[in-house]
Amino acid sequence: MITKNFSNGRMVAAAAVALLSSISLPALAATPGSALVMAWNIDAISTFDPAQIGEVVTSELVQNTCDSLVDFDPADESKVVPLLAKSWDVSEDRKQITFHLNEGLKFPGGEPATAKELAWSMQRVVLLGYGNASTLTEYGFSKDNVKERIVATDDNTLVLKLDNPYPTNLILQAVGANRVSSLLDMKTLMSKEVNGDMGNKYLATNTACVGPYRLVQWNSAESIVLEANDEYYGAKPKLKRVLIRHVAEPGTQRLLLTQGDVDIARDLSPDDLADLDGKPGLKIERVLKPQLFFWTFNAADPVFKDERVRLAMRYLIDYDGLAKSVMTYLGVPRASFAQLGAVGALNAEEGQPFKLDLEKAKALLTEAGYPNGFESNVLFGTLPHSAPIAQSVQANAAKVGVKLSLERMANAQLFARIRGREFQSGMLAWQTGVPDAHGNASRLVYNPDNRAEAKLTQIPAWRSSYQDEDFNKRVQAALLESDPEKRNEMYYSLQKDVMEKGPMAIMFQMYNTLGMSDKVKDWTWNGFRVYYDAVSK
Amino acid sequence: MADIVHSVPRSDAGNMARPNPLLVVLKVVGKILLPVLVTLFGLAALTFFIGRMLPIDPVVAILGDNATQEAYDNMARALGLDKPLWYQFGIYVRGILSLDFGQALTTGKPVIEDIARVFPATIELATLAIIIGTGLGIPAGVIAAMYRGSWIDQGIRFVGLIGYSAPNFWLGLMGLVLFYASLGWIGGPGRIDFIYEFDIEPITGFYLIDTAIQGQWEVFRNVFSHIILPASILGFGALAYISRMTRSFMIEQLGQEYIVTARVKGLSWGRTVWVHAFRNVVVQVMTVVALSYAFLLEGAVLTETVFAWPGFGRYLTNALLVGDMNAVVGCSLLVGIIFVSLNLLCDLLYRVFDPRTR
Repeated sequence: MITKNFSNGRMVAAAAVALLSSISLPALAATPGSALVMAWNIDAISTFDPAQIGEVVTSELVQNTCDSLVDFDPADESKVVPLLAKSWDVSEDRKQITFHLNEGLKFPGGEPATAKELAWSMQRVVLLGYGNASTLTEYGFSKDNVKERIVATDDNTLVLKLDNPYPTNLILQAVGANRVSSLLDMKTLMSKEVNGDMGNKYLATNTACVGPYRLVQWNSAESIVLEANDEYYGAKPKLKRVLIRHVAEPGTQRLLLTQGDVDIARDLSPDDLADLDGKPGLKIERVLKPQLFFWTFNAADPVFKDERVRLAMRYLIDYDGLAKSVMTYLGVPRASFAQLGAVGALNAEEGQPFKLDLEKAKALLTEAGYPNGFESNVLFGTLPHSAPIAQSVQANAAKVGVKLSLERMANAQLFARIRGREFQSGMLAWQTGVPDAHGNASRLVYNPDNRAEAKLTQIPAWRSSYQDEDFNKRVQAALLESDPEKRNEMYYSLQKDVMEKGPMAIMFQMYNTLGMSDKVKDWTWNGFRVYYDAVSK
Repeated sequence: MADIVHSVPRSDAGNMARPNPLLVVLKVVGKILLPVLVTLFGLAALTFFIGRMLPIDPVVAILGDNATQEAYDNMARALGLDKPLWYQFGIYVRGILSLDFGQALTTGKPVIEDIARVFPATIELATLAIIIGTGLGIPAGVIAAMYRGSWIDQGIRFVGLIGYSAPNFWLGLMGLVLFYASLGWIGGPGRIDFIYEFDIEPITGFYLIDTAIQGQWEVFRNVFSHIILPASILGFGALAYISRMTRSFMIEQLGQEYIVTARVKGLSWGRTVWVHAFRNVVVQVMTVVALSYAFLLEGAVLTETVFAWPGFGRYLTNALLVGDMNAVVGCSLLVGIIFVSLNLLCDLLYRVFDPRTR
């Protein structure tokens, strides 16, 4: 309740700022010509260890300081392009990929960086066993076999041995372009080792890897300075420095941006974005990210175990109305589990066939034995769009007799409830790390073991107590299908079926948005990466 | 906290026979230190157990939503969460005694190190704010009492009312729009401009002092241009409180008979008020100022957020939001220590200023 009043108060204040700043005279300051200056909420940074990081800010920083084996194509995230590896060969049976690294790789200190360090860095992710280990264990690497399966055969050659003939493109995306294939400075890290942590503690405040930039200063919750790495093997970044100032309040970010004290504001509110859009000297940029916002149902709940009820709920979501109001700068309607931009994803139209249809919802509920509706509960967190969406759904549900009570809570608490299966339904977001339909199929659809004691808490399908043997088989079959066309077809049909029956009503695919000065040129990003080295001023 | 302030021994020392000095020391220690320790222990216990019972999962806060159960279990073990609660609390208390509040989950650093980093920013802001609040608030309160009911009194009351009731974050945003964006008189959000940020050699952590020591007057000016607005806004809130309280204390004094006597004896009105009446309210005003200062030191969350001020209040709030209980308990203890020590300081100053307590 307090939070709600606070946010209302904030909206009033934001409106007042908008009003006042529109009448104020521009007294523009300037940022240095050789540096990119960003205002960003960087509260969540806790480590720069590629084996451990899990949130967006650090991921973006690590991607710009630590090159991975291969990279996402800036123009099309579903394709991969060379990075540390200039080329790669795939064995006949698709179970071995041999990467040929660029010559003359060096760490920022000038020491040579070789495939040996790279193999160690990748093994390290599995051996340490933090969250990112699952990126590798998912494809058959384990603590027992990783030293045989990821090996350097000479200074410039790295070999990955897989347990199954996975699609090569998928492995390149999921492993090659992921932070788990950063090339870390083994000697430095091992010299700083504490209690067998392989340098994890050192990396809490440092970076030690090969990349276009290096971290030179980090004042927690204050600022970050990246500087171009002179020893970098690739093209030198156009801007010498990237300065990031921690600013938590969107209204403050907006002021800094319009004053010219920062080039880019990363966390503007939708109201600010709408207001600044089209203002002279400023640009609004947005790109779809691989994050889905959905309403998940607990299939163990006596009401929601019926797939007709779950389908009925989808017809209570006002996709178009929300897209035109709350979600304008936040996301686009999407009902398929495969995000736009991924290999195997249905196109925008086919991937979102639903619309608000109370009669259809009513008919489905009647068929399921609830002609007069039912009572249930919706949990949601503190994402700014959660409350308006939940309220819109609640209002529509009331029209067909379904009484939904809404319960708002801190995100950490929401996650705990959902992971513990202690909910009837909940609204939250999920982000995949792979631009391939398999990324979400393996989590939002596939559930190998539905027993409570299996505790597959990292799998949202398991959290929803949902298991469908047919879907499981189709997810596995599509993963290993060798013909790309056929593989796509398998995903298309799977998406259409899951949309009707699955445990989640997927609602929106989210945008990354920012406001920036028009002095910034060539800002380059896609759903998976931001390319600082391409930016100029 | 009010209890501790009023539990000051006022006049029980005067009419006793001279006891053994060692006994006096023991008695003082028992009287002052014991309640402090009990208070702090109670605070630690309360925050610790509330923190552990909250339905927030610290392991997810560290590992992220995507972690496997195996990684989850390992981390829970590493954090000692598989042990019984009383055992965890025992370990925690043992840590506190050696000034080890554990690791902050979100920053990955020891809580004590984090606090050492963020607290100077808040102390600097709070100190400047209390100087502004006291420097203007006390005279305003005295003057309001002197001219009770006049337009001056009404004017001061009106300003105080704004300081009391306008939300800080709103004043902050408005102040930024006016003085930073429109007029360009002051620096923007943050403690310092980016270009100067790495010129400062941290010695004390107080930027104004550090730059002054090093003679970097250009940087000093920049720091000052950043701190003056948030400090004024916080000081404004303190001013409102201090001036209202000073006014009512003074009105009470000015109604006393000794004031009439002083006037009859031919003392000037100014001298009567400032020297005779005011001296009698100093002790009360001091309590008000100390409590205001303690509140400011707790960190003004909203002001710190609006001004991107990397201070204590924001750190604590953030820790709360992500369920970083080590940081929360550490911060709560610090707040407790601040209140207790400011109260002790008040007690000591009472003895200096109030002859009745000697």
